[in-house]
Amino acid sequence: MSLRFPYDLQQVPYPVVSLGGRWVRPRPIVPVLIAGTGVPILLYGRLDSAADDTIFSEHLAARIGVDLTEAPTGVATGVASGPVTVRYAQVTLCLFDQHQRYEWLGWVGFTAARLNRPLLGFAGCLQFFTTTFHGDLEVAELAVNRLYPGT
Amino acid sequence: MNQNGHRLDYALHMENRRNFPRDELNRFIGKHIAFSFDGSRIVASGEDLRELEANLVAAGIDPSRVVFDYVDPPDLVIL
Repeated sequence: MSLRFPYDLQQVPYPVVSLGGRWVRPRPIVPVLIAGTGVPILLYGRLDSAADDTIFSEHLAARIGVDLTEAPTGVATGVASGPVTVRYAQVTLCLFDQHQRYEWLGWVGFTAARLNRPLLGFAGCLQFFTTTFHGDLEVAELAVNRLYPGT
Repeated sequence: MNQNGHRLDYALHMENRRNFPRDELNRFIGKHIAFSFDGSRIVASGEDLRELEANLVAAGIDPSRVVFDYVDPPDLVIL
């Protein structure tokens, strides 16, 4: 069984030229739960097959009970943004739909840079799934692979 | 989903989330928001996660019983 997430169809105020004049932007935004030793947080994140890491806002770290004081650090950059510092920690992540629920321990990065939504990238998340982005159906489908370490 | 005894009905949440009135959502463009577990209401908002959480707590709402989201500015392309 796999997780199936219909894309979020976000309305735009003009016809999108690159989508043949549609008035929506389909985006693979999915609910994800992140937990440390404290209270878990449920939020929407964006599946991003081009992101090397899975990244959350640093504000969430303290909230979920993750101490970043001695955390290993790295530098990350986006397509249109400059380098930012990322601090890494192991957390519990959970993806689910109405049929399935997958929970695992993975390394994610936390950044103090403005991050409107978490990025669910390769390390910590997509590495454990075979992910199919059905462009025609506008559905993302995730099936656990042999690397999946969770329950 | 069941965390700390709180249950999220995924199907109900997503159904309500998809049918959430666009006009209502547009009031929160560029803001971080918190949906009720059933996806039918936006229970708090903020300029960033810190402010959102503070507003939740001030309203007596447990931050572990909402779903955090962000309302993208509709005219922005996300890269």
